[in-house]
Order: sequence, then structure tokens, then C-alpha cells
Amino acid sequence: MTFAVTVGGRSVECGEDQALLDACLRAGVWMPNSCNQGTCGTCKLHVVAGEVDHGSSPVETLSDEERCAGMALACQARPRGDVELRPQGTSAARTANPLRDMVATVREVSDIARDTRRILLGLNEPLTFDAGQYVELVVPGSGERRQYSLANTADEDKVLELHVKLVPGGVATHGWLFDGLAEGDRVDISGPLGDFHLPPESEDDGGPMVLIGGGTGLAPLVGIVRTALRRHPEREVVLYHGVRGEEELYDGDRLTELTEQYPNVRFVPVLSHEPADGYREGFPTDAFVEDVPSARGWTGWLCGPPAMVEAGVKAFKRRRMAPRNIHREKFTPADA
Amino acid sequence: MTTTERPDLSWLDEVTMADLERNPYATYERLRAEAPLAYVPVLGSYVASTEEVCREIATSPDFEAVITPAGGRTFGHPAVIGVNGDVHADLRTMIEPALQPAEVDRWIDDLVRPIARRYLEQFESDGQAELVAQFCEPVSVRSLGDLLGLQDVESDKLREWFAKLNRSFTNAEMTADGEFANPEGFVEGDEAKAEIRSIVDPLIDKWIEHPDDSAISHWLHDGMPPGQTRDREYIYPTIYVYLLGAMQEPGHGMASTLVGLFSRPEQLEEVVDDPTLVPRAIAEGVRWTSPIWSATARISTKPVTVAGVDLPEGTPVMMSYGSANHDTGRYEAPTTYDLHRPPLPHLAFGAGNHACAGIYFANHTMRIALEELFEAIPNLERDTREGVEFWGWGFRGPTSLHVTWEV
Repeated sequence: MTFAVTVGGRSVECGEDQALLDACLRAGVWMPNSCNQGTCGTCKLHVVAGEVDHGSSPVETLSDEERCAGMALACQARPRGDVELRPQGTSAARTANPLRDMVATVREVSDIARDTRRILLGLNEPLTFDAGQYVELVVPGSGERRQYSLANTADEDKVLELHVKLVPGGVATHGWLFDGLAEGDRVDISGPLGDFHLPPESEDDGGPMVLIGGGTGLAPLVGIVRTALRRHPEREVVLYHGVRGEEELYDGDRLTELTEQYPNVRFVPVLSHEPADGYREGFPTDAFVEDVPSARGWTGWLCGPPAMVEAGVKAFKRRRMAPRNIHREKFTPADA
Repeated sequence: MTTTERPDLSWLDEVTMADLERNPYATYERLRAEAPLAYVPVLGSYVASTEEVCREIATSPDFEAVITPAGGRTFGHPAVIGVNGDVHADLRTMIEPALQPAEVDRWIDDLVRPIARRYLEQFESDGQAELVAQFCEPVSVRSLGDLLGLQDVESDKLREWFAKLNRSFTNAEMTADGEFANPEGFVEGDEAKAEIRSIVDPLIDKWIEHPDDSAISHWLHDGMPPGQTRDREYIYPTIYVYLLGAMQEPGHGMASTLVGLFSRPEQLEEVVDDPTLVPRAIAEGVRWTSPIWSATARISTKPVTVAGVDLPEGTPVMMSYGSANHDTGRYEAPTTYDLHRPPLPHLAFGAGNHACAGIYFANHTMRIALEELFEAIPNLERDTREGVEFWGWGFRGPTSLHVTWEV
């Protein structure tokens, strides 16, 4: 059973147990979205006509008043009949990278740091995405889905690179990605998702950027920073990688190479708990405050544990970065 | 309560204008509880203090607008806020075209954003500022001043004018004989008007011969037969309405919103991080401390009973919207600023056919100003070495707001 979902003059088919957002993205109709777990509120919209089932929309994200006023979370709501939607603050839907289901093949699994793996997934046909977006992996046997950012640039579209951190007891990592996953395995994935990516090239003025990744939160930044530098090789970039200890660092050579290739790039690994010679100590967000006297006119990129992202937002604002220029990956690890 | 059991309101005899100007809330809280429509001796007038009674009177066919005595003494006749019938219709027709949402949308961003940026540039590297005098008031008066055609009048002069007109307009204390208790309190308003006339008269002379796109030029010409303009004496009282309320209140609204947000640091942070929340923050700010606190009135057009009180025909009632917006019958913990309070309609802009004509313009002026402020100084903090004092009964807002930030 499917229903018609109309948004911005376009109509798409949506299954009765399919999220509105999922149906729209699959049909190439873009709407704002970020966490896809009902917690960030980015996909909140108006149901202009028809009824929806709010599913597991949390009341913290979508209040009772908002429900009564006809609001819904597109990532959680299911249609109960034909519905008409109006995204908040936007009048027209635009087309973007369509969401797709694919079967990928594991090309390589490598241990790159303590409890950290790089997983390369080969695709039969290229995936269209923006650097910084993420994909969902279906955990075999459990039906659970887990979200992992792509470390790729948009032209690296046939082999997807994921960085995965072991979560003790985690269904996806402990029970699968760190236990038994092997080259040649087939993996069901959906993507791309999320709004953590650079603006279109025509709107990218080449201004200075700071990127802070915590642990495997580095992954999307690896794609974003390379894309940004290719667009504007002279731009000022500071990239921080925050981890607990030296053994958790990875991709150092790859990132140091960027500092040699481009004149205004700094790469700064920072160790929070296990000091080591030659490395900055503390939190990467504090290192930024020490290093950058003013971030006015900069854009900021944050991906990592929620506490680090919170601290990063505060640090950026303290250095007077305009809040609309602060980008953060909003999905949070659901594992363990 | 019934009409036969009147509460003892003798405590009202002790209420002074200074009390009300310093903090009217305690007096009005008691009025709302004991007598939502009551005669207040110091004001020489009936006062409506609850949401229900204010709304009832503002939208009642048995009442029409009247200007308060001190307001009438200050503005003269016919001011748009105090007239009815054809004159009111003509004055609203005169001012409304420039204030229609579709019209305001056409130019508001280009008007206000550069002004806000210009004032921010003057202090954003200082690490501290007094926002009422350095930002809220200047952005408010410059935006409206440029719209009216007063580009050549300095912002500080426009601020001086609204302050003098404000004190004159709210010089409301009456004697038991129904006379103004402090007639000398109107002198500074008269001086301000004389100065306004000396500056605006030559502009009107010019606009009569050479109309342009400024609002006052349109007021002179729009809807008039060819070769004729509205008489300047006819439009001056409404010019004064603008030079007081429309100039002053967006500044009050911004400053009160900021003080409210500073009382809830986590909500301030939410708004700074998500500028789409600015309009909601402002709506709560003007509910929390309504800029036009008690400056408008209605008069009964026939004998009428309201809230159990019998009023003869021709009885003026002051509308205390600032009190109505703290009505516990409508708002939970109304003295608390809360961005996430259910967004019920409030009375900060009045109600009925005399509701504020500039709602859309004022809201967007405040929105753009605060967007620019938070964009330029996302790390804004209240300077806790300085207190925040509110002043005003007729019009209310913080007298100063010291802030600090890391540069």
C-alpha cells in the first residue's frame, strides 16, 4: 500500500510504513535533514493536508503543541493516507543526491589505530554524494542500522571509505565489523544522508576553515578538507584531530601531506589523556581557542562525541564565528 | 465578585506615579486579583488590568478610542491613536500602505541590516558596550527615521525627542479636581515639539512641492486630489505618535528581549545558535516586558457594565497591556522569561481596530537587529558588574544594558 506525498509541487510515492523523508529523498526531492533519528529537528515540517502517524518522534523534538499545529518530523512520520507537506522556511523543494539502497562488497578491512578500523566498500555503480555525508549499514541478522560518515571526496564514488571505532558490546562493531567481517562480504547500505557538507562550489568563497574531529569523527573531515582545498588551494585551513592517546591517531601521513601540498594548511593532532612527546595536550577545542585569536568570517566543522561538539560550538562562538557558519554532524553513536 | 460587594480599594490612594514608573507590576498584580477594572486615583482614570478585560474593552462596540489626558496634552488632535470614525479611517489609510507586510518585505532587509551593521562596527571590537544607547535605540530610530524621510536628523536627536515626548506623554498624575498635578512636566515635550517643527516644517514645504518616496511625503499626498496635500496641522499629531512610540518601542522590545534571554543563558545560547528562533524570542520579550505598557485608552460610548463595574457613557479606561501580559489566568509564571512558553497571542501590540499599525515593521526591525547582533557577537554576555533597571509605566524597557564579550 502506498500513498501520494506532495511537497513543493512534486508528488512522490510513500509506503505506509515508510518515513516521509525516506520517500522524498529516494525520489530525489530534497528536504532539510540531518540526524535521521528524530533528535535534531532539522526535518521538521508542516503537514498541510492529510494525516500522519508520528511513529517514534520524541516529544522533546516535536512537542504536543507542534503536533496539534500540524508539524511532523519527516524522518519519523509515516503517512496514513495521501499527504501534502511544506518544509519549514523553504518554499521550493530542490533536487539533490537521491537516497539509494545498494549492496556493497567489502574491499578491505584494516586496523589503523587502537580499536579503530578502516573499511572500504566497493560499489557496482557510482554513488552521488557530497563529501561529509554519511551512509547507513544494515547489521546482518539484527535489522539494526548504523550510520557511518564517508571519508571520500565526491569523485571517489565507487569505493566508500569508513572509519569505525569499536564500541564494547556494540551490535554493529563488537558483534560484526570487528568480529568476522572479511573481504568479499556483502553489506546492505543506504545513502547518502545528512547535511554535513560544504556549500555548492558557486557559493564557496574560499574563506578560512577550522575542522575539529574527535576520534573517528575525523572521517567526514578528511573528505571535506580535501574538497575545500581542491576548490581553493590558497585557503586557510586548520584541522584538529582529538584523541585520547597517540595509539588512537591515524591518517597522520595523509594529513601531513596536505600541509606540504597546500601553503596555508595546519594539521594539529591533540592528545587528551595520554601525553606523548611532540604532541599537543588537552582537548582540540581548547587548542583552537589558543591558536586562533579571531574566527570572524571563518566556517567551522565539528564531528565527534556530543561533549566535544558542544565544546566546539562554544569555542567557535568565543572566537566570534557566526553561528550560521558552524556546521556539526548531528547523528550520535547509537551503538552499545 | 458582584456589583454589590465592592472590594476595599483604599490602598490605591497610596499609589504614586513614581511607584508605577519604577515598577508597576506589584500594583497591577493586586488590581488583577481584586478589581480587574478599577478607578485609580493617581491616574484619575479607570484602569483595565487583566487580559480578559483589556481584550473585551479593546474589541467592544460600546467603546471607542480616546487619547489619555497627558497624551492629548502632548500630541494634540487628531492623533491616530485617539480618534475614531472617518478621521481614524483616513489616518489609517494614510499610514498603512507603507506598513503592509508585502510592502515591508520589499525593503525591510535593505533598510535595517546595513544600519544594524553600521552601529555594530562602531563597537564590536571593544569587548564591551551599553546596548540600549549604542545599539537598540540607534537601530530603531535610524531605521524609522530613514523610512519617514528624516535622514538628516541625527539618531541622537531622534532619541532625545522620543525620550522627551515619552516623559510628557506619561506625565499622567492627576489631582482630585481632575487637573494635571505636574503641568511643568509638559515643558520638555513642548520644547521637543518646537524643535521638531523647526526641522520638519521645511521638509514638509519641500515635500509639498517635490514629493518623494519618504513616508511623510506620502502622508501629505496620497489619496488627495491633484494639487492638494493634507494640512500639516492635521498630520503633525500622528507624526508625534511616530516620533515617540514607533521610534522608541522597537528599541525597548530588543533590549527587553535581550535582558530576558540573559536571564536564561541556555535559551540565549539556543537563539544565538539558531537565528530562526529570534522572532519567538522577541514575541516572548514583548510579552514579558511590554514596551507599550499602559499608553492607550478607550472611552465608553454608552452606559455599560464591564467586569461587574457600571460605567456611565463617556468613561475613559486606560488599557494596561503590560499587566494583561502578566495575567496568571493566561500565563504560567508570567514574570519569568521563557522562550519555550506556549506561544499564546499576547496584547503587546493591542487589539481591535486600534491595534498597532506597525506590528510587522517593528517585529522585523527587531528581528534583523538581533540577528546581526548575534552574528557579530555570538559570545555576548551581560556585564554583571552593572545592574539592569527598568523604568516606565506608560512605556517600559531597560534604561541600560551593559554587555561584555571576548575580542
